[in-house]
Amino acid sequence: MTYESPAVLDAGPSDGVDPDEFVRAAMRWHFDPATGSRYWLDRAERLAFDPRRDVKGVADLSLLPDLTDELRHVPVADLIPRGYGSDARLINVFDSGGTTGAPKRVVQLDDWMRHSTEQVDRRLREHGLPLGAQWLTVAPTGPHLVGDVLQRAAASLGGPGLSIDMDPRWVKKLVAAGRSDEVESYTDHLVEQCRRILLTQEVGVLAATTPLLERFAREDDLLERINGSVRAILWGGTHMDPDTRHLLATEVFPDVPLIGMYGNTMMLTALLERPGLDASQPCIFDPVSPYVFLSVVDPATGERVEVGERGQVIVSHVSKSMLIPNNAERDTAVRVRPAGDHAGDAVADVAPVATVKGETVIEGVY
Amino acid sequence: MTVVKADGPVYLDALGPNGPYRTRVPSSVTDVSGTEVARLSLVPPVYVDRALAVLRKAEAVPTAGMDTLLEAAAEEFATGTIGGLGVREYEHLVSRTSGSPLTVVRTATRDTARFVSLARASADRGRPRGAARDSGDPALGSGHAVWARRGEVFAVNASGNHPGVHRLWLEALTLGYRVAVRPSRREPFTPHRLVGALHRAGVREDQLVLLPTDRQAAGALIRGADRAVVYGGDDLVARYAHDARVLPQGPGRTKILVTADTEWREYLDTIVDSVADEGGTACVNATAVLVEGDPAPLAEAVADRLSRLPGLPPQDTRAVLPVCPLDRARALDSYLQKVAAGTRAWLGGDGIVDDLGDGSAVLRPAVHQVDHAGAPQLRAELPFPCVWIAPWNRSDGIAPLRETLVLSFLSRDHALLDTLLAEPTIANVYAGDRPTHWMAPGVPHDSYLSDFLMRSKAVVGFE
Repeated sequence: MTYESPAVLDAGPSDGVDPDEFVRAAMRWHFDPATGSRYWLDRAERLAFDPRRDVKGVADLSLLPDLTDELRHVPVADLIPRGYGSDARLINVFDSGGTTGAPKRVVQLDDWMRHSTEQVDRRLREHGLPLGAQWLTVAPTGPHLVGDVLQRAAASLGGPGLSIDMDPRWVKKLVAAGRSDEVESYTDHLVEQCRRILLTQEVGVLAATTPLLERFAREDDLLERINGSVRAILWGGTHMDPDTRHLLATEVFPDVPLIGMYGNTMMLTALLERPGLDASQPCIFDPVSPYVFLSVVDPATGERVEVGERGQVIVSHVSKSMLIPNNAERDTAVRVRPAGDHAGDAVADVAPVATVKGETVIEGVY
Repeated sequence: MTVVKADGPVYLDALGPNGPYRTRVPSSVTDVSGTEVARLSLVPPVYVDRALAVLRKAEAVPTAGMDTLLEAAAEEFATGTIGGLGVREYEHLVSRTSGSPLTVVRTATRDTARFVSLARASADRGRPRGAARDSGDPALGSGHAVWARRGEVFAVNASGNHPGVHRLWLEALTLGYRVAVRPSRREPFTPHRLVGALHRAGVREDQLVLLPTDRQAAGALIRGADRAVVYGGDDLVARYAHDARVLPQGPGRTKILVTADTEWREYLDTIVDSVADEGGTACVNATAVLVEGDPAPLAEAVADRLSRLPGLPPQDTRAVLPVCPLDRARALDSYLQKVAAGTRAWLGGDGIVDDLGDGSAVLRPAVHQVDHAGAPQLRAELPFPCVWIAPWNRSDGIAPLRETLVLSFLSRDHALLDTLLAEPTIANVYAGDRPTHWMAPGVPHDSYLSDFLMRSKAVVGFE
């Protein structure tokens, strides 16, 4: 059977619901034995507080622990809230990239897919993306969320989506093994596939990862073609430092708007760069109330840093279908006040956490 | 002398094909005590790729007038104000960041200027007798060869152990290569000054660039060039061993061999200088001394001399020993004690760290005696005066002398000299009273660089 959920929990991104009210409803849903998932109900028994009573709004999400490591082995069926009953429409199981070990898994149900598509669609329209234009997306597909988000974005703007798949895990393995020549060959292979599409098809929107865009900068024929016909470039999947962003925007693709996308598997969607900023200003990503809340904290103390300061990014995803609170990302960013009535922080200049590798002190003379 | 820039921090911009380029958040360059002394712009890979593309399209520095140009650049380097830094300020910063004694840096300034002014002639010394410089040579008509480049763009992934590292790539520029230099992040001042001096003297910005980067973008630089030289340890040498486009410059493992027919006491100055001059940080400083007979007296004499060297901050004009951050000094010390286990310590056995109290420390010399010529310690090269003294017997053969950048040969045994000259893994042999760190324009350091950059191309029919 299916349980009735409070109307607020079915709200779309345009419905303007109160984020605190939404969070309270989500707590009641995920922690009610009748409606919560097996995973969360089991886990709740070991919490030192009652989420239904103690989480009164967005700010109290910080009470919940970061349990994302457990998503490496939880059976995905255990993640689906019981309240959906036999009506649960599981569309995808997505994996994280597995940079820090075994991949973490999340489920995407039909209702969340609609909300996510709608919010991405709205943001892209705010950026003035052309409707009905053909897309080329070069991104990880398969178990990876980003390719799916881009394909749905293309479809929602009425554009046919051509795509090239990439396997980020294989590339990371090659990099870790120091096989840089093979990384190069694989990248050449991707560029070659893109070339076939770019030179024979009319591409209006190009969506690609940062390394691919950097790689395009070495191909004069592709640059001419992209600057001549592409009307927007979406970048995402990895970070882009401010200098690279500025160079790409002003020198490599001077005639095409460059729009950043920040998302990951645990967020279960993507955030689009705040419109209206040029390449010399920081690239800001706003959260999406009432589903995705960000906070920027001091990694040592867990305390929120001041606005304008850099810290570690903490992401909470709250929806009817999934609850992934307080995921400590491997990103740092500058804390910014969010636009509009979004709750929590916005983030600027997202960058990877500086990896503290035990650098070998002894390197001989050099 | 204290150098304080009143007008804010020193900025070391990238010197790209379209002029200086400053990144949004330049990274800090700190001195040996950890104090920020400059800000260095590390360019991203996309900048490297685009700069290399411009270099590839640019023409070579014309041969005509090259010597005049180089002389002007040498003069600028030695005396000019470049990037806002006079030569004294420059030398102070190099000394404070690399930890090299100021006198070593000052000598390096003069020597580098001399190498710069003679770079064309120096490179030409490496030209094979059968190869003409260009197609205008009348000898070509009878069937001959022309000396030709193997590529267009040369990249240098430099080290920061000694300012002299930057003398080598000048030759590539004179051979018509366009050159991209990636400075060491520890000591970027010398290449910044040298590239600036050459630009002022007339080398165009699309012929020579300075591209400071992080390690990841360094990969883009090496990959994007036709030929590259990289400096580093054994791991780096192994990584590039099979890449014909890359010339790795690894540890020197410079050695001295004293045979029984030679009284070493007459050469003690040369031996000690070989170990400790230049602060003992160069690949041409002696790492090992092999002695036919009892090595103990020599070890004792060397230790005695080295023990008298004063421990001073690098910018002190009396300083002769290298300085580095205190935590690195301690790490080097514990590494040394581990490596030296089982040897007889004549100097440095109770530690080599001389804490200067400001976050930095002098690295004091170390002298250890090992009990046979095959001891693994002879391969341990450390960035301060640190020498391993070993007995050597005729029965050891030349195996212990292999893999050596400079071998100083204190002996009258000509047959042995010939054997050493024939040994492929010994790069240079200096016979007689000549310290291992001796260098001169036109004399190869590790073969002529042109062996790697040029080829002889048969040309017939040019009348």
